[in-house]
Amino acid sequence: MKLRNTVIQQQDATRIQEMLNHFLAESGAGEALLIDRGGHLLAMDGAAQEFDAVSISSLAAAAFSSTAAIAQLLGEPEFTVLFHQGTRRSIHVSTVDSDTILLAVFDEKTTVGMVRLFATDACRAIARVLSETRARPKPQDEFAAPLSDTESRRAWTPPS
Amino acid sequence: MSVINYANRVIDFKIVYYGPGMAGKTANLEYIHRSLPNANRGNMISLATGDDRTIYFDFLPVSALTVRGFQTRFQLYTVPGQVAYNATRRLVLRGADGLVFVADSQFERLRENVDSLQNLEANLKEYESSLDEIPYVLQYNKRDLPNPAPVAYLEFVLNKRATRVPFFEATAISGEGVFETLNTISRMALASEFGVGREKRDEAS
Repeated sequence: MKLRNTVIQQQDATRIQEMLNHFLAESGAGEALLIDRGGHLLAMDGAAQEFDAVSISSLAAAAFSSTAAIAQLLGEPEFTVLFHQGTRRSIHVSTVDSDTILLAVFDEKTTVGMVRLFATDACRAIARVLSETRARPKPQDEFAAPLSDTESRRAWTPPS
Repeated sequence: MSVINYANRVIDFKIVYYGPGMAGKTANLEYIHRSLPNANRGNMISLATGDDRTIYFDFLPVSALTVRGFQTRFQLYTVPGQVAYNATRRLVLRGADGLVFVADSQFERLRENVDSLQNLEANLKEYESSLDEIPYVLQYNKRDLPNPAPVAYLEFVLNKRATRVPFFEATAISGEGVFETLNTISRMALASEFGVGREKRDEAS
């Protein structure tokens, strides 16, 4: 499957943020992370700042990919939901589209049924936004001209 | 693949360190993690067996320079080099914007290097991609060991595509060549987002 680059413009980011916010309010989950299947965190809402959201995104994408591979070995196209139950917090991961997943972190204030129910709606809505985003021509602005030598100077200085 | 976010002005790239088992992929990331200040790096995660062999991947997020108002961030991954773990290797490769092929310079590991490079090409094919599309560099690691193959020979065996790519001699365990490798692949991944590089990528996708 050919992979696509993702460009999130301001208006897309705002709409996605509203959808995540709506999802949290309805489902009672504490945090929502929108993650691309390569492991990049695309957007998040809730109190996720207290987590290492970058690491969680990478690990969740890997876990979801692993279960997808297991599904294929069993003759299923994919397991569309992944659920891990903890003593205080649990996670629910669901498919948004072929490139993206939605991870929800929740505790005893809600149930996995509620999270699953509203995650389905949220995933559909977000998938529509991402589809529009990908169909739109990429803005040329800052990316039109090639990088100069000065711009692509050493990113890191080796320690002496 | 890369993510450009106009809302928070960030570009994210994924760089994957590939190569045979015990070639020093994890050692590269460990050195980078040790060397960068906290402000430029996140937590390093290693999914390894009890004897420190990578079973799934290592992961290290690092942030670098700002280009045209966009903060650039690189997520560095390693794959498990052991032959048996090809399914997980393929999963980690998903969405890579740049590749570092870490070869073990020792004469007796030449076969494994060649096999691993062929395995990389086969796995890229699964994503309808190839080494012609993704920026990559070669790192000839373990130059400090007593029996390294001459670089010219490694070049002849491993860097023989129509367009030769940059290569680096390295001793990752002590850091030699590690940042030179990282700087070059980062610049190549960055360049592919701008100007002609970007047009080519858009055509390919």
